[in-house]
Amino acid sequence: MHGLTAVEAARAALEALAGGPAVAVVTLIAAPPGHTEPAGRRLLLDESGGVRGSLGDRELDEQVLGLARAVLAGAGAGTRELEVGGRPFTIYLEAVRAPEELVLVGAGHNAVPLARLGVLLGFRVTVLDDRDQFAVAERFPDDATVVRADFADPFRAIPIGPRSYVALVTRGHKWDFDCLRRLLEADPLPRYLGMIGSRRRVKAAFQALLEAGVARDRLASVHAPIGLEIGAETPEEVAVSIAAELIRVRRQADGGATPSRARAGSGSDVGALRERERVLDRLLPERPR
Amino acid sequence: MDDAAIYTAIVEAARQRRPLALATVLATRGSVPRHVGSKMVVDPEGGLVGTIGGGCGEAEVLAAVTQVIRSGAARVVRVALTDPVDSWSQAVCGGVMDVFLEPILSPDAEPRP
Repeated sequence: MHGLTAVEAARAALEALAGGPAVAVVTLIAAPPGHTEPAGRRLLLDESGGVRGSLGDRELDEQVLGLARAVLAGAGAGTRELEVGGRPFTIYLEAVRAPEELVLVGAGHNAVPLARLGVLLGFRVTVLDDRDQFAVAERFPDDATVVRADFADPFRAIPIGPRSYVALVTRGHKWDFDCLRRLLEADPLPRYLGMIGSRRRVKAAFQALLEAGVARDRLASVHAPIGLEIGAETPEEVAVSIAAELIRVRRQADGGATPSRARAGSGSDVGALRERERVLDRLLPERPR
Repeated sequence: MDDAAIYTAIVEAARQRRPLALATVLATRGSVPRHVGSKMVVDPEGGLVGTIGGGCGEAEVLAAVTQVIRSGAARVVRVALTDPVDSWSQAVCGGVMDVFLEPILSPDAEPRP
């Protein structure tokens, strides 16, 4: 069996990006003289365990499959040096998976520019609203999916998981609150969960959720008030502030793959979590004063 | 930048039997503009799809493209972005990137071992 060409691997990557099973792509970068497969040949492992191609040596393939499984489980992309029968190989491996999904709950004036920015940033964007006159595809970019959904159970048709980013931007605080509660009481939590609203409203919502028995650490994961603090006022400015927050969360998820410039900037995942806990603590101190 | 555009460019060029080169950032050290896995397709006829960092180092990769397509052999290009900041060079980001540059040739032109 030969390695796949870059063209064959590109076809497989497109299937994964279109929503198929995630696939780990292993590329041969350097091999000792006399090796049968040239640099650039690939071996693919998909999430359901299917293997395509070979790097030209059974033992090398075995080693590589172990690394490919780790990458599918979340290990970072990068090169690895391997030794097979005393001969050195260099491989590069990465996972290709469907883009993360941005779910906008509420199709009002804030959602329109945010949907555009979401598409621009490479998210699959879905917009939900319960009103026929707002849940209109023409108001949103072509690449966004617009769904008319009842806010009583808006996520029935949209599975939420660790690759979901949810922004609650409905017209009324009651709906934002109901959706927030539904998401916090379900598993798994989305990767990002943000809720629009003034500090005062957020405080009232957090208070009510704590009283309803939502765990404090779950509540601390909520980005509310939503967006980075840049003094945004117009819907476009608010969208930029939310989009910036989405980027911050997304790039922190990359771990070691984050450029050093960003790493030096806003701090680690842990730092961001502490920052949110500080917001929660300031709004709602753990012990009554 | 969406990787779908990269893969589509590769599949499309292969269908039209046009040669291209694909650049992938393999490793980085110091301050660099893009992360590991960033890709750029260099199409001698159609230009660039994607970016591995704009002015910072792309020129060195572009210079190697013709040779890689002609030889049919992939290679690693080390790009140092460590020119002094007052040099007016574009390569002043401060880091070093290893970029895998590989030719994408139509199946009948591709050398088989």
